[in-house]
Amino acid sequence: MTTATSPATGEVTYLEAISQALDEEMTRDERVFLLGEDIGFYGGAFKITEGFLDKYGEWRILDTPLAESGFVGAAIGAAMMGLRPVVEMQFADFISCAFDQITEVAAKNYYRWGAAVPMVIRAPFGGGVHGGPFHSECPEGWFFHSPGLKLVAPSTPYDAKGLLKAAIRDPNPVIYFEHKFLYRRIKATLPKDDFIVPIGKADVKRPGNDISVITYGAMVHLALEAAQMLAKDGIDLEVVDLRTLAPLDKEAIYESVRKTSKAIVLHEDNKTGGVGAEVAALLAEECFDSLDGPIMRIAAPDTPVPFSTPLEEFFLPKTADVVAAARTLAAY
Amino acid sequence: MDLADVTSEIKRGDLLHMYYYLRLTRAVEDRITALYRQGRIVGGCYTSHGMEAIAVGYASALERDDVIAPFHRDMGAFLIRGITPGEVLAQYLGKRTGPTKGKDGNVHMGDLKRGIIGFVSHLADNLPVAAGAALAFKIRGESRIVFAGTGDGGTSRGDFHEAMNFAAVRKLPVVFFCNNNQYAYSTPIRYQMAISDVVERAKAYGMPGEIVDGNDVAAVYLAAKRGIKHARAGGGPTFLEFKTMRMHGHSEHDPAKYVPRELLEEWKKRDPILTAERLLMELGYGDETYFQEVGERAKKEVEAGLEFAEKSPLPEGPEALEGVFATEADVCHPTVQSRSAA
Amino acid sequence: MPQLGESIAEGTVVKWLIPLGGAIEKDQSLLEVETEKVDLEVPSPASGVLNQILVKEGETVAVGTLLARIDSAPPSEVVNRVGGVVVRQLEPATPGEEHHSPAVRQLAREHGVDLTQVRGTGAGGRVTKKDVLEFVARSADAGKAPVTGGEASMGEEIRPLTQMRKTIADRMLKSRQTSAHVSTFFEADFSGIAAYRAGRNLTYLPFVVRAVTRAMRDFPIVNSAWGDQGIVIKKDLHIGIATALEEGLLVPVVRHADRKGLAQLAKEIADLADRARSKKLSPDEVQGGTFTITNHGGFGSLFSTPIIHQPQIAILGVGAVQKRAVVINEAIAIRPMAYLSLSFDHRVIDGATADQFMAKVKHYLEQSHWEQIS
Repeated sequence: MTTATSPATGEVTYLEAISQALDEEMTRDERVFLLGEDIGFYGGAFKITEGFLDKYGEWRILDTPLAESGFVGAAIGAAMMGLRPVVEMQFADFISCAFDQITEVAAKNYYRWGAAVPMVIRAPFGGGVHGGPFHSECPEGWFFHSPGLKLVAPSTPYDAKGLLKAAIRDPNPVIYFEHKFLYRRIKATLPKDDFIVPIGKADVKRPGNDISVITYGAMVHLALEAAQMLAKDGIDLEVVDLRTLAPLDKEAIYESVRKTSKAIVLHEDNKTGGVGAEVAALLAEECFDSLDGPIMRIAAPDTPVPFSTPLEEFFLPKTADVVAAARTLAAY
Repeated sequence: MDLADVTSEIKRGDLLHMYYYLRLTRAVEDRITALYRQGRIVGGCYTSHGMEAIAVGYASALERDDVIAPFHRDMGAFLIRGITPGEVLAQYLGKRTGPTKGKDGNVHMGDLKRGIIGFVSHLADNLPVAAGAALAFKIRGESRIVFAGTGDGGTSRGDFHEAMNFAAVRKLPVVFFCNNNQYAYSTPIRYQMAISDVVERAKAYGMPGEIVDGNDVAAVYLAAKRGIKHARAGGGPTFLEFKTMRMHGHSEHDPAKYVPRELLEEWKKRDPILTAERLLMELGYGDETYFQEVGERAKKEVEAGLEFAEKSPLPEGPEALEGVFATEADVCHPTVQSRSAA
Repeated sequence: MPQLGESIAEGTVVKWLIPLGGAIEKDQSLLEVETEKVDLEVPSPASGVLNQILVKEGETVAVGTLLARIDSAPPSEVVNRVGGVVVRQLEPATPGEEHHSPAVRQLAREHGVDLTQVRGTGAGGRVTKKDVLEFVARSADAGKAPVTGGEASMGEEIRPLTQMRKTIADRMLKSRQTSAHVSTFFEADFSGIAAYRAGRNLTYLPFVVRAVTRAMRDFPIVNSAWGDQGIVIKKDLHIGIATALEEGLLVPVVRHADRKGLAQLAKEIADLADRARSKKLSPDEVQGGTFTITNHGGFGSLFSTPIIHQPQIAILGVGAVQKRAVVINEAIAIRPMAYLSLSFDHRVIDGATADQFMAKVKHYLEQSHWEQIS
């Protein structure tokens, strides 16, 4: 078992926070078990479950065949029988192989015939890691449209740990989008005591008065950087971290935009039909009288995630995009 | 079927019980077909005419706490697990008293309390789910098993193979079956696979497989018992291929002109109810009078059920908004209460 | 992290000398680095914008670690990725066709602000939410002392200000503060009009509108507005007709009044007045006027010094038409006469122009062959 806390600083990375959450929940609740590819002996492609096999044994840490639909289906069955499976998708991209099980079985079982499916699918998503079209995707948009699923996407170690614990304790299927770029880049000191971050609650990561930036995942950090730069010019950004994508914390979004009257919706997913499109539409429906400028969206273009460094850099939203959009909107 | 096997392996009462459920299945589905033709049932209408012995046979072989993931022509299994004819008909009529409260239709009935995993139209989707349920039993060290199946067409899907493989690798307590009724909707088996017996697929996953006469309820029962015993003993999964014939169309709207009439005539002689009656007579367990009496009893139960279903209220429109997300109170807790076999 | 000495394996970023997002030239100092052996400033390897700082101040990293990203792409390309709206909203708003954002309109409604009175500081002079809030704050400060005289004392009653009262008060004051008002008075003989009217269901007003629009052809500058760039002469003649209501005043506008015959003018004026009184005018029917006529003679008034309806530059008052003894061709005759009062903005036109314009109005009122031009 690796110690998740680095002794020197007391800080944990985003990745260690995830590992801690899994470890603590498995200790707290014997119904919790993990399954996925290479999570046992190897400790997972990103080493999140390193040491878990020795600690919990092969019937709580299951290395599965390379068959996402099969093991997601198996998790559904186990969940319906009273266990709390946590599935690891090696990369969120591979979740497409299990799309049918997630959207047709897990998402609909409770609605159709009352069978609760308390399970978590961890999906390491996002680019900036030179993964190319099959190791960088942001597939949340596919599931955002599927009633019966809960989707979360933490941006900090605190949220990562608290949301994963909340997801494991939730009686519904939850897809937990963990951003690969943040794994070892973001650190924080976490409370010693058990805590959760409730699903369905957004978090204002930086209060501000002029423009609301509504975002999630790794993009939260871009927005915060932009806010810092713009503060010098007297442009005061409010950064709203959605944290939960489904069900959306609509009131938090409305509250922020009713205050600032201007909104930038920022995400790393492709622009068309993404979470941002829904947020923009909600703002037009519910906050029209508060808007003092057009709702702006910053997102990746509608292409697969390209591999080569200049292509991927062009593809991903950047701090400069947020700064430029905010300047334009501030002057509007 | 060797009579000695039957008498040594199946109690008289169990055989008569199965005969009753064959008749009850037929009576329920005849009623459903009639309702469909009267325009009183909306949507798809799938029946198990000619295939009743499979569900009746395997469901009778299970214990109370076992779980099934049935195919959509397994009416007998629903009835034996305790879904009443009234609930079945309420489900078909879209009533609030059906197992899905009107949220889903026809054979898409599920109820964890009665150990039934609700059917999903995407064939074979429930096979990985069944493997997972079996995994839960194995993790907890319970002696429960799962009985799960699909049709010949469903074995073409990846989920069939992923489920078989995973269950075999982890030696999960599950019995998989395929009711090979020779047509997937209109597609004959020769366009579905390049093998003539689906059972050959079991070998590739390292599990035992058997071909079973799917029209003989006693044969189905005994084969199911063997698979169940193997699973319960920790031997892992088994695969059973029930050979049968679908005597109606894919759905009641389908006249099934693609099936040669001679083939249907041939299979008609092997009708599961007739086959069971022949066996009962050979064993001296029943005669024409008895069969007629059982038929009447089954019909009566169905007519009482229809009355219940018709009197039941339809759901109110806004109920469509309810039940998207579960609460903690909805989560299944390990002790499952299902109705003991009647 | 550059290799700063052969045996050096790592270095610490002491300080970034360029802020994130800042522009940097090639070879300009970018950051301070400290190693076991040396402290120095690292020059930038390229020109561009510092878009990403990957190693924070105080962090120690291995040689070869990427420290920051400098994007050489011009900022405009970046902007284009953001969304189509960026391009669109940079176009300046067309004067007179101001569109207000929902938030601005909502605030204006809440606070009773006339948006034409608010100076816009947004793109293309757009009025922003902030502009309205500041305007409200200023108005509140200015209005505090006189408006809130405290509780009503004995023998007094405080009638709360209606929205319309507030708007009128605000506009009238603003107009007096904005324009250099001067009034000039003429008298016109309405005999020809009276003769034409006989047996026809027509008021005097359409004839005045007609005379005014014809005089404007001779003096287009009267149909203008004061603008920052100069005097804006309006090609379209949209004549506002001041209409008294029970609780105030509205100025509905007859569009393209010069293109309409007497009957059409009469009909439109009557219709606008009716709908003004029954509050059924649409907002665009009280906007966009280029000149205003006020028919103050209805209750017998002879002269007036009307206040200009901003941003126009003149307003014509029409007094009561009365039979008076007038001298014509050395003889005294009885004629239906009315005084015409023109208030004009002396910033824009001088007395001579105003008087020549009025002489033309008088001429057209008196000399027109109404049978031919109706």
